[in-house]
Amino acid sequence: MSLTKNLHPDEKYKAGKLGTTMTLVGAAIVASMGILSIILGAAHGDHFKRFLYAYVIGWSFAVSLSIGMLWLVLLHHLTRSRWSTVVRRIAEAMTGAFPILWLAGLGFILPVLFGYQDLYFWANPAAKADPVIAHKLSWLSPSFFALRYVIYGAVFIAISSYFAKKSREQDESGDPKISVTLRRAAGPGMILFAFTTYLTWLDILMTLAPRWYSTIFGVTFWGSGNIGAFAALGLIVLWLQRNGRLVHSINEEHYHDIGKWMFAFTFFWAYTAFSQFMLQWYGNMPDETNWYKYRMFGDWQWVTIAMLVGYWAFPFVFLMSRWTKRIVPSLVFFAVWQLVFHWLDMYWNAMPQYDWTTISHGSTTVNAGPLAGPIAMHHVGFTPVDITCWLVFIGFFLMGTGRGLKGNLIPVKDPTLGLSLAHEQL
Amino acid sequence: MSEATAEAHGEGNQGKAREHFRNITRDVAWVAEAPKPHPLWLVALGLAIVLFAIGIWSIYVVVTRGIGVWGNSNMVCWAWDITNFVWWIGIGHAGTLISAVLYLTRQQWRVSINRSAEAMTIFAVMAAGIFPLLHTGRPWFAWWMIPLPNDMGSMWPQFRSPLMWDVFAVTTYLTTSLLFWYMGMVPDLATFRDRWAMRGDKVRAMIYGVLALGWRGSARQWHRYERAYLILAGLATPLVFSVHSVVSFDFATSQLPGWHTTIFPPYFVAGAIYSGFAMVMTLLLPLRYLFNLKHIITQAHIQAMCRVMMATGMMVTLAYGSEFFIAWYSGNEFEQFTFLSRVFGPFWWTWWWMLFLGNVVTPHFFWSNWVRNNNYVIWILCILVNIGMWGERFVIIAVSLARSFLPSAWAYYHPTRYDVGVFVGTIGMFLMFFLLFFRFAPVIAISEVKGASDEAHAGKGGH
Amino acid sequence: MSDAHEANGNGGDADNGHEPAANGALYGILAEYDTPGELVEAARKVRDAGYTEFDCYSPFPVHGIDPAMGIKRTILPLVIFIGGFSGAVGGLLLQWYCNAYSWGWNISGKPTWSIPANIPIAYECAILLAVLSSFFGVWAFNKLPQVWHPLFRSDRFARVTDDGFFIGIEKADSRFDADKTKALLEGAGSIATENIYLDPDPENKKMPKWIMGIIIASTAFALVPFAIAAKARNSKSSEPHIHIFPDMDFQPKFKSDQANDLFPDGRENRGEITNTVARGWLEDDEVFFHGIEHSTGDAGDSWTTGFPKQYPDSPALPPDLRGAPFAVDMKLLERGQNRFNIYCTPCHGYDAHGQGMVPTRVRAGGGNWDARNLVDPKGPVVQMPNGQLFNTVSNGYAKMMGYAAQIPAWDRWAIVAYVRTLERAQNASHEDIPATEQGSIK
Repeated sequence: MSLTKNLHPDEKYKAGKLGTTMTLVGAAIVASMGILSIILGAAHGDHFKRFLYAYVIGWSFAVSLSIGMLWLVLLHHLTRSRWSTVVRRIAEAMTGAFPILWLAGLGFILPVLFGYQDLYFWANPAAKADPVIAHKLSWLSPSFFALRYVIYGAVFIAISSYFAKKSREQDESGDPKISVTLRRAAGPGMILFAFTTYLTWLDILMTLAPRWYSTIFGVTFWGSGNIGAFAALGLIVLWLQRNGRLVHSINEEHYHDIGKWMFAFTFFWAYTAFSQFMLQWYGNMPDETNWYKYRMFGDWQWVTIAMLVGYWAFPFVFLMSRWTKRIVPSLVFFAVWQLVFHWLDMYWNAMPQYDWTTISHGSTTVNAGPLAGPIAMHHVGFTPVDITCWLVFIGFFLMGTGRGLKGNLIPVKDPTLGLSLAHEQL
Repeated sequence: MSEATAEAHGEGNQGKAREHFRNITRDVAWVAEAPKPHPLWLVALGLAIVLFAIGIWSIYVVVTRGIGVWGNSNMVCWAWDITNFVWWIGIGHAGTLISAVLYLTRQQWRVSINRSAEAMTIFAVMAAGIFPLLHTGRPWFAWWMIPLPNDMGSMWPQFRSPLMWDVFAVTTYLTTSLLFWYMGMVPDLATFRDRWAMRGDKVRAMIYGVLALGWRGSARQWHRYERAYLILAGLATPLVFSVHSVVSFDFATSQLPGWHTTIFPPYFVAGAIYSGFAMVMTLLLPLRYLFNLKHIITQAHIQAMCRVMMATGMMVTLAYGSEFFIAWYSGNEFEQFTFLSRVFGPFWWTWWWMLFLGNVVTPHFFWSNWVRNNNYVIWILCILVNIGMWGERFVIIAVSLARSFLPSAWAYYHPTRYDVGVFVGTIGMFLMFFLLFFRFAPVIAISEVKGASDEAHAGKGGH
Repeated sequence: MSDAHEANGNGGDADNGHEPAANGALYGILAEYDTPGELVEAARKVRDAGYTEFDCYSPFPVHGIDPAMGIKRTILPLVIFIGGFSGAVGGLLLQWYCNAYSWGWNISGKPTWSIPANIPIAYECAILLAVLSSFFGVWAFNKLPQVWHPLFRSDRFARVTDDGFFIGIEKADSRFDADKTKALLEGAGSIATENIYLDPDPENKKMPKWIMGIIIASTAFALVPFAIAAKARNSKSSEPHIHIFPDMDFQPKFKSDQANDLFPDGRENRGEITNTVARGWLEDDEVFFHGIEHSTGDAGDSWTTGFPKQYPDSPALPPDLRGAPFAVDMKLLERGQNRFNIYCTPCHGYDAHGQGMVPTRVRAGGGNWDARNLVDPKGPVVQMPNGQLFNTVSNGYAKMMGYAAQIPAWDRWAIVAYVRTLERAQNASHEDIPATEQGSIK
């Protein structure tokens, strides 16, 4: 429908001090929770192993939100979307968290680079004894790993800052050619984005279980991250509106689309996660089923069941309805719900690898690494540092996002803005 | 009422918007109303019928003498037949993607091609269904796959077999595509009914009238119709994902190297859409010339399809890359060997000349604006993609089987004339149905084109 | 407006080949508008005037018409949800009934009911039922197919599928008043209005008799197979099954141990031809194949006490053994040990005391049975000549079955040699230990 609208004359679309407020709140969370986490991590008495596991989980959670929004920005330009023009600036702000998150990630990359052996089993000398891991140590060497980390970060930061900068330029000049330039750039950007995202999740999360492998892993994580990303987008938009910004521009039609994407990726995540599980379960080969063995039985099965019900079945059934997505309080409920479960998804993927098993052969004992030994020896072992590290990264994410919330909160001179403002669902 | 008075009746209303709507109706209906078809259409139909006849003869031989007449062997037990099945199903998927996924994502350029793409889906799925049916060896027992009470006591299908999942997925897909297609066509069939009635052709008016179910364009009916159409689109989308995922499960649930990998479901779906768009363009590029639809299926639409092919082509490339990388990363020597054997083994030419050229290299031609505006080049590239995607399935299916775990079980595969005959026959059948559809049905979604045009908002003040 | 008034009442007066039909009772008023926008405005006015029994007609769904007319959202999505949900549950139940309840399929000992493998079909069933309920639901709610409708009697209305935009207000509405209603529609900017009348002949509303006839006949015909099946299920018959597809059930071939008129003895089996031996089966070396020594004296045949002198040159043997000298050496003993451990130890045990796993299990189950102790110095085996021992291995003794079918003759001789070794080892004295080792064992 080619109806258009003009920006409401009373619309407050300048960020004012909101971005700074968000950054400060984020910094306060980082400072307080960071100190608490370090104390709790040290009190754990395992050379910060638990702390670093929780740290990686928190980092992945925050990064997945930015990755999801970068995807939205790229898709927006690639397909010339209309509904998303009004929220694009906020999505761009969320991708602005990349630099600070990549810096924060050095918190686990530097230890690994300088010889910390308890986070990634492949960085442990005991891994050399396992021929399967020894085979891939050329890829999984701490220095190459750190180098790749830097490259991934550079790619994400380059793409996101380019799109954010050009978008701001259009606010000044109103040049419609910028939209064309961005559309052209979105194609190669998307390719680079796809390869980088795929490899990031492979490297950061899949190699926690260095024997296991799955080709769909990066795709599943991208899908899961987008659930969280759209949930976070909805919450930030609502927060801005509560503070009097964009109240006339963003209405339930746009919330409806955010909800639709959340629903779509809830479905997509279930699809990819089920594909991965079903194929490995059905194929029944020990090197693959091992990963699921420790999640389907013992303590972890309850987390698995919680994921199935909480991350998929419950939100899936309710988000199907039109009203759940259009009535703001219910959308907020599901956004918060899905963010919590998105974190649990990260937790479920990473934390079962925390318990490393020592197996004795006669007089010699061997460190067999994660996912080995009897199932009964593996516990969820939930600790407060898991939560505080998560909060630290919510803080980092808010700090980074707050930086981007400045000037215009809406691309005022984007040629498609009128269409986006008038957007209506079928 | 004569034709002249019908036109005069229309001309009495001088609104510009109405003239626009009338033109759309006339341009689309002309395809079916022209008294004589285009001679090239007749030539193409004749060729299709010849191919179809070859297929009928081949099927006759295969059924009466058994599938031993095919080139399949003990080791390469799935070859051309299953390759063709996967290829045809994949082609069908573009139709559903255009009609459902692009509808959900509000891509309005779809309205000019969705009807013919949906028709393509149905004919492609019909062609696909022939192959597993023949491969059972005794197609007259196909009904055993339906859980019917029978005289053998408790004999039921084995529901945990991926091949049974296929039966359910493909039949659901065919049913859904057929209903979706028909439902979308009802308002346009009503248009045909009224046009023939105005010309006084009672027979055609009655045929189209029965098919149109008495549609009268009431707003209350439109309201429910639009909701149902949206939901059908919402159902067709997860369905199209599930169908090719289930097809990929046929391979990926096994333990054969090169088959057992978790990326298969989304990778098959992306490949399906890729090949499907290539087929849509292969068919529509000539037909839009033949039937003078260049102003409805515009160059912008063709450009959009080129872009979709670029995107899906590169998704497929990403999947190839991930397969190779994980084959190395897994440390599984059988996996590693399989992938090396695809590239450098006895079937190297299928990998390089079909898979690599068609699917990895071809999409990058579409970066060029010149290519995207040159329909001859696009057509040739689409043929390359069709071949490439066929080759990809052949590489996955036959080449993996030809080089399995034991060197003593290695084999080579040669198709026989019956492999070729059945395949050519399905192409003939597909083309024949498609050409007939183009001549007798509303090939463009008339009501949707009208609704998507600017004139659909004519006469609205300051809304 | 003037041409619009001329059109009034001309609804049935079409020159499209019909007989000019008289009009029945009034159905309602139809007004035509020029643009979709005007249609929406007019619809809003009609709604505001309090009409409920009216409808708008257009060639495509007009944007904004639903709120203008005050159409409530359809409950169709709920119906579809219920359809999809019952599809999922039904799909699971179907699989559970077929594969887990009615007839459990045992596949490699896996559980008969394992949800992950049942999900794809349940999923497809859910989609299928949701699709069917949306397709049939939309026509049911829309009261279609309805090929006959009073509006179709208007020629003007034929443009509704091309470029016409109409509002029709029905006489059934409580506020309907021929003049006022028409004034309202015209005031809303119609370019034409016309009265729509019902068909005076109620027969025309009905389906033609011949179509009804075809429907009834084909329905009845379609029920025939079900009727036959129902009858067959509820009656007894001594006739054999009807095999629609005989396929492999009856094959034109002869099976063993059956009567056959073709041969004089009336038997299917032909047996061996007298005085012939299959290639490689001529076991003419009595010592090697049977352990029997021929002698021409009074003693007759007797068990051989030694071992064969050489392997026979027979195609039944592996090429490297054919005609080779038979040597009792370490190679033979190791081969014997290997074979003994595979075939004999389950009953006789590794030390040949007759207490292998089978007797152990018998005791565990409360029974009491030992296999023969092969090395008991007072037992029969130690006294047996080699040939008899070979014969026992080949043909069995008491509970023991013969092993000739599993173990070729040359391996049986290796076992005999190994059993002799075991006897010697188990009954050895301290002096048998080499002098250099005697000190370490007391």
